[in-house]
Amino acid sequence: MNRYKNSLIYIGIALLLWGGVAVFSVPKALLMGSITYDTFLRVIKIMIAVFIIIGLIKVWVHPKHLSRFLGKEAGFKGLLFASTFPIILGGSLFTMFPLLRILREKGASIAAILSFITAWGGKAPLLPLEISFLGVQFAVLRIAVIIPSALLIGIFGEFLIEKWERNSFSPAREN
Amino acid sequence: MDTGTIYLVIAAILLLVSLVKDRTKTKNALLATGHIALSILPVLFFIFILMSFMQVFIPQKLIANLLGSGNGFFSILLGGLIGSFALIQPAAVFPFAGFLRDYGANYGAIFGFVMIAILMGISTLPLELLSFGKKFTIVRNVLTFVLVSLVGIVFLLLL
Repeated sequence: MNRYKNSLIYIGIALLLWGGVAVFSVPKALLMGSITYDTFLRVIKIMIAVFIIIGLIKVWVHPKHLSRFLGKEAGFKGLLFASTFPIILGGSLFTMFPLLRILREKGASIAAILSFITAWGGKAPLLPLEISFLGVQFAVLRIAVIIPSALLIGIFGEFLIEKWERNSFSPAREN
Repeated sequence: MDTGTIYLVIAAILLLVSLVKDRTKTKNALLATGHIALSILPVLFFIFILMSFMQVFIPQKLIANLLGSGNGFFSILLGGLIGSFALIQPAAVFPFAGFLRDYGANYGAIFGFVMIAILMGISTLPLELLSFGKKFTIVRNVLTFVLVSLVGIVFLLLL
């Protein structure tokens, strides 16, 4: 049950908001209900398909074994991999950070981790949902800018972090 | 056939291929699907109620004024700012973004909201600090916000 504590909290807050409106105006609460119902009907088939696909990706693709592709010695190829592959992964940041920490401990470079997070923002498994609400043009353009963005954040971010770390070590040596 | 049905058919075909290749894995995949559905559907319910609340109570003009193309670069920054406070699952980001678009937000602001909601968040900040430390967290978040805002201009101008 604990696993779904957050789910219950979300349902609770939603019902509280809805009930609060009903206290002041029943017609407005009914209107909210019908809007919510319509939105649900619009996405339910898409969501079921998306849930199935995310489940399949979860068992068939194992990011934990990827660290060997993501080390510094993997060079630009590794970075390119980190900037493209995660686009197909599901999950939220809460599940990504622990996974990426394991990858980092197993030897992935800082640049690869940074690129990985950014590319994961591509969220291809949610593409059906994105197209339904925001249109094909937006979805395609967004996926297209993800890869160069991931590369840029990886390379430039690692440069900045390493520079910062060097700078903060040097005063210590003087003491 | 509507789009939803087409996606369902694709999912069913993939499921069938998986079943033929490995029964145990497919069973685990379906268990994962159930778990994902149980954690995401409540969030969607919450976000749909919130969307309906905003549609009933918040004047369309307000969103159009703040996030519309008339507000230019500022609208992208504002979209990103709203995104960083959104404590929601990525799956709920797109329906909410669609609502903002219908209410007059421009695609630059939508891009800012979507990307920042997925990639940053005050709720995940403690976990990021714990996993990767202060320097990594600051550099990644600042760099992401700056880059997303700049790329947002492309969306503002093109779409």
